[in-house]
Amino acid sequence: MAVGGLEFLVALVVVSAILPALRAVRARQGLLAACSAGLLYSLLPNLISWLTLGVFVLSGYAVGRALRSRPRPALAGSYLLVLVAAFLLLKQYSFLELLLPAPWLDHPVAIVGLSYMLFRQIHFLVDSMQAQIDRPRIWDYLNYQLNPFTLVAGPIQRFQDFCGSWHRLEPVPAERHEILITWLRILLGSIKIAGLAAACLFAHEKIFERMAHYGGPVPPGTAVAQFAALFYLYPLYLYFNFSGYCDIVIGAGALLGLRLPENFDRPYLSRNLLDFWTRWHQTLSFWIRDYLFTPTYKAIAEARPTWAPSLAFACYFLAFLFAGIWHGSTTNFVVFGLIHGVGASVVKLWEMTLVRRRGRAYLRQYLQSRLVRTAAIVLTLHYAGFALLFFPDRLERCLIPLRVVASSLRLAAFG
Amino acid sequence: MSSDEFRSEMQLLFRQVFGDDAIELQDEMTAADIIGWDSLMHVNLVIAVERHFGIKFATAEISGLKRDGQNVGTFLELVAAKVGRR
Repeated sequence: MAVGGLEFLVALVVVSAILPALRAVRARQGLLAACSAGLLYSLLPNLISWLTLGVFVLSGYAVGRALRSRPRPALAGSYLLVLVAAFLLLKQYSFLELLLPAPWLDHPVAIVGLSYMLFRQIHFLVDSMQAQIDRPRIWDYLNYQLNPFTLVAGPIQRFQDFCGSWHRLEPVPAERHEILITWLRILLGSIKIAGLAAACLFAHEKIFERMAHYGGPVPPGTAVAQFAALFYLYPLYLYFNFSGYCDIVIGAGALLGLRLPENFDRPYLSRNLLDFWTRWHQTLSFWIRDYLFTPTYKAIAEARPTWAPSLAFACYFLAFLFAGIWHGSTTNFVVFGLIHGVGASVVKLWEMTLVRRRGRAYLRQYLQSRLVRTAAIVLTLHYAGFALLFFPDRLERCLIPLRVVASSLRLAAFG
Repeated sequence: MSSDEFRSEMQLLFRQVFGDDAIELQDEMTAADIIGWDSLMHVNLVIAVERHFGIKFATAEISGLKRDGQNVGTFLELVAAKVGRR
């Protein structure tokens, strides 16, 4: 069942009609849990996947409870190592081919949404150990991990926030016009996915294939025009597709009583790359900030305060490299992450240089300038677009448009 | 420590961390009102506050301070509660 597809929408109409009629919270939770089970049944291909999912999720709950009653960093660290190793194996990351025998990677386990489950699980463990989660119940935890609105592709919600609405499970839009607005959001999400994103992807694929099959020299005008089309189409596709998906699940969740976090805030209007990551896939970037960047940088700054300003850049690289690798198991995602690491470091260096040379008062003036803001938005949009050239496919395929346009321009310039 | 003393100590920490003597703390201020208050400076601020008052923040508390609806006032409240609990 595809989110936003006809089956999903029909199921949503039926369940959102039944749910408010159920008076007991337990009954409403039961209905939603049945939906989760139905979705999982349609997504998990075999028994071994069910068993693996069970071990993955239940072990996280058990360790979280153990850490809640007695914080033991050694237990947390060991479990996290095993969890991440299991995740890499289950997702068949390509670099493992260098380390493990081939049969280990040739397994039939396929669990949709495992990357999101991993992030939720790590958050649950850390917050449990730090006494930020109070006596979680297994029923709540299973529904937190497996509910149909965040199972496949997020948003990555925090357990405490999930429980805030799960324990009431009352539809968020109360008035008739609020319900209509929520349905409108779901409809817009469907249009974004089925119309806008699909059209952008179709055009992107057509142009890409044309560029991939050029046998000889290409006129520079044609090469540049095709490259420009690819350059803008893919970011548009990605935005329409993922933000449309989020519109649907956030709207659907609200109709059934789950208040989910937003994931996008006009990302292509960001004024720099750090700003971009507070507007693009927000729940992912906030997770990386909170559970990777902050603890790493804090540990460095506490242990070696004089090293901290320089090592902050290493932390940016680590965070963005992680963001890249998390998106996929192939080399192109490493490149994607590194490009963002470079961009974020340059942003911070530029800010530090301005403060050092001209002072904070100038920085304030600089940031308030409309001209600077417009130029910064255009620059950021194109830098983020450049990074996204390395997103759609394996590295050798991603390089094709760059090679075509470069060789065409070289030919035009030097004959 | 009186409430005014606590507030002026916090203001001093903000000024030191952000290198800006013009900062005047108001409860309703957010990260957007202080130039340079990004994720990196947020951690620097947290470390400075932890060191100064001898307290510790949990990961969820650190991230919670950057969420919608949070401002300098809620940050001061959290620190005051922790200092009081010490």
